[in-house]
Amino acid sequence: MIRDVLVWISGSPLADWVVSSRYIWPTLESIHFVSLCVLFGSLLVIDLRLIGFYRERCAPMVNLLIRLSLAAFAVNLATGVLFFFGNTFKYVNNTAFEIKLVLILVAGANALYYKLRLSHIVDSEEVSLSSVGVGALSLLLWAGVIVCGRMITFYAA
Amino acid sequence: MLGFPTLIALHSVGMAVVVGLSLMITLRLHGILTGIRPPQIPRLLTVAVWGFVLNLVTGLAIFVTRGSEYIGSAIFLIKMLLVIASAAILFWLRQRLKAERPTAEMSVGDALARGLSLAATVSWFGAVVAGRLIAYLSDLYR
Repeated sequence: MIRDVLVWISGSPLADWVVSSRYIWPTLESIHFVSLCVLFGSLLVIDLRLIGFYRERCAPMVNLLIRLSLAAFAVNLATGVLFFFGNTFKYVNNTAFEIKLVLILVAGANALYYKLRLSHIVDSEEVSLSSVGVGALSLLLWAGVIVCGRMITFYAA
Repeated sequence: MLGFPTLIALHSVGMAVVVGLSLMITLRLHGILTGIRPPQIPRLLTVAVWGFVLNLVTGLAIFVTRGSEYIGSAIFLIKMLLVIASAAILFWLRQRLKAERPTAEMSVGDALARGLSLAATVSWFGAVVAGRLIAYLSDLYR
């Protein structure tokens, strides 16, 4: 069943397009990397505030950076899906890729926790135990996502 | 432990720190992200410098390991020029903005600082793209 889906993906017109020119894959990877810098830079500014590296009130800026990081994540998701189509069996049963997906899900849950329970903190000059934890966890998780992403190619069958 | 994949992976993390923060600081100097108060800008530049130091160390180690594959590539030489230009601006900007001893109320950075900060960010992104293209298109440009 899953195998059928994977075979369909790897033979789909979109998959054909991704590998139809030797320039497409490097272009997509360049976009993926540029966008990951935008994502990580935005998160650094937010998370350093949560950790208490600086403590000013900055709720409007944090909201802007959340939107910027979501936009950058959308670009990375889109290019990531194209990689999966273009070279499906590089990613299937790839430990680095599997850990990367888990780390992204945990990072998403961590960000959701911030949004639901902690966003008031950037409207003050305070930090709390949970804001320090959420900020530090976010940076560690996303650094892990980058490391695992870069490791995929070395774990490919 | 510090094999080639580990070096490459750490190089990507350093990249995200220095390039990401360069963009954020450029946005701040151009009047966006004003939630970053002036005294914090040189501190963020210091964090960016540490990202660069990580990449200088890992980059040299990668070059020692695989340098012969890169040295003949025009794209690699372009990447090095872009990195040198961006890093020079990063260090200059940090010294310049530290020397201003900015307080919370003052505006920070003149037109030169704003312009060079933007140039460094564009150059960093160029280095990122060049870094990716080395792996795929080096045979085209020798």
